[in-house]
Amino acid sequence: MKLLIVEDNLKLLDTIKETLESEKFLCEAAANYETAHEKIFLYTYDALIVDINLPDGTGLDLIRKMKQQNSTTGIIVISARNSLNNKIEGLDLGADDYITKPFDMAELVARVKALLRRRNFSGNDIITHNKITVNTVNRSAAAGNQQLDLTKSEYDILLFFLSNPGRVLTRESIAEHIWGDNMDLADSFDFIYSHIKNLRKKITAAGVDNPLKAVYGVGYKLEKTTT
Amino acid sequence: MRLIKRTYIYTSLWMLPIILIGSIFSFLMIEYVSYEEIDEFLTYEMERLVEYHEENNDLPEFHQVARIIEDVKYEKPFFKDTLLLEPGDNEMVPYRELWFSINHNGRDFTLVIQHLMLGRDDIAQGALLIISGIVLLILLFAFLSVNRVTGKIWTPFYDTLHKITRFKISEPPPEFTNSDIDEFNALNSSLSELLKKIKKDYQHNKEFNENASHELQTHLAVIKSNAGKLLDNSGGDEKRTETASKIYSAATQLSQVQKSLLLLSKINNREFSDNIELNLEDLMKQVLELFAETITLRQIKLSANTKPSTVFMDKGLAEILINNLIKNAVKHNIENGYISINLSPQKLEIKNSGEPYAGNPEHLLQRFSKGKTGISGIGLAIVKEICDLYNFEIQYDIKNSTHKITIHFSK
Repeated sequence: MKLLIVEDNLKLLDTIKETLESEKFLCEAAANYETAHEKIFLYTYDALIVDINLPDGTGLDLIRKMKQQNSTTGIIVISARNSLNNKIEGLDLGADDYITKPFDMAELVARVKALLRRRNFSGNDIITHNKITVNTVNRSAAAGNQQLDLTKSEYDILLFFLSNPGRVLTRESIAEHIWGDNMDLADSFDFIYSHIKNLRKKITAAGVDNPLKAVYGVGYKLEKTTT
Repeated sequence: MRLIKRTYIYTSLWMLPIILIGSIFSFLMIEYVSYEEIDEFLTYEMERLVEYHEENNDLPEFHQVARIIEDVKYEKPFFKDTLLLEPGDNEMVPYRELWFSINHNGRDFTLVIQHLMLGRDDIAQGALLIISGIVLLILLFAFLSVNRVTGKIWTPFYDTLHKITRFKISEPPPEFTNSDIDEFNALNSSLSELLKKIKKDYQHNKEFNENASHELQTHLAVIKSNAGKLLDNSGGDEKRTETASKIYSAATQLSQVQKSLLLLSKINNREFSDNIELNLEDLMKQVLELFAETITLRQIKLSANTKPSTVFMDKGLAEILINNLIKNAVKHNIENGYISINLSPQKLEIKNSGEPYAGNPEHLLQRFSKGKTGISGIGLAIVKEICDLYNFEIQYDIKNSTHKITIHFSK
């Protein structure tokens, strides 16, 4: 999987690149419109992650160019401008997803993986981690041999964990993942706690060890390896 | 009240003293003139009689002498006012008399001649009628001419007025028509300056917001992602995890606050003007679906009684409005509490159980009002701002542990 990341803030660009590389993606970075434009012409990418505001152009133009060049490339727009217009324009041009700064790396990883799953016709709809399986087509989950009866939020949380094994998911990022901007983060912690508690109960009831470990005072983590 | 109407009323009021003073003046004038004329007439009559007597030693056959008093002599003729009974209508009427003496065959005679005078009440009545009539006529013509002239002279003013009432901050300032009246030109150029300044301030404000948003959020993203990395790589060291988590939380909260403030600022700036007719009932159902799980989780009893309610507003703002209200009702609720929603075309009422609050509930609508757990959110402040923008009336009542927010839609 080859990704092109376009972001003018070098520190953020580095962090995004490192994070996605740690997920075994092949990443190329461009810090301005010119470089990105060149790369789009020269190479083929599976996904483009593009900031709208660039010093020498707008990311919207890059989306247009990318669509002309290779229409199967998935596109995720990043923008700090939380303006609806940018969002609509970006999605109209053919972007697949939109994420506003400051985002969590876990969120970005989940979005990139979801995008590639959707784009990839060979289909990797089934994600397995240890004994837990999630089918993203019919939105079902199983632990061991047993189907899990999950609520919408529980399913979303589980998939979020499975997209980020080994990474600490803060309560804030989980809340934002489920509710977006709709919940004041600090107030939703007890809801997150209840959701995780129920999720754990359902997994252990299916005879599988609880894989969601609490990181005290911060959030939760899906254990990377079998314990 | 229109300018012209008020002008008419004030002008008419000012005419009242004119009628009064004018009437008194006319009264005195007419009285004076009538005395002069009657006295003159009586004097001529006296001279005629004296002359006739000197020539013929007798009085003419037809004379106007009212009385002849024998053996009385006055050195000089004199005038006298008197009242006489008029048998016709049995009323005392004023007369002017001239008394003078002549010598007839060695005997003195005093002759009295009379003439009817104008009654003072008649003069007063006449004076009042004349002046009122004239004033009315003047007013009539003044109004007619002013009406005609105003239409012409005030046209540029009404033109300007029309343009500024239709002015929208997001559009370029209007060009005012030049007029040949200095005051209007001065007004137009002052207005132009003012609008340009407002427009510029608005633009600056907008740019500042966008820049602040872009720059801040980008750097916050750097802080947040790196704090996240520290969390992942803390290797189970609790101290390090705690430190990283503090950085992470602060950055997240800062970003939230900034987004909320930006939203408030945008609402204030009226940057949301994509107003459409939309049904709040549909929106309410969507939002309730979003919160359904949370409501169940907290074992809150929800009763929603909604009717179609059409409002004319920006869709994004309507979403934020409903969302923040429901969020507030869920967030500040208690375990096993309740939420009751009543939506009608006229108003939206949301009642929920919660903690008792001692202070003035209106304070909760202000931004960053202090709650029990430190600074509480900005959500209701945004609700208030949106209500203000659309002239909706918002009320917050607390009775014991029941919180009630009512929004009356302006119709």
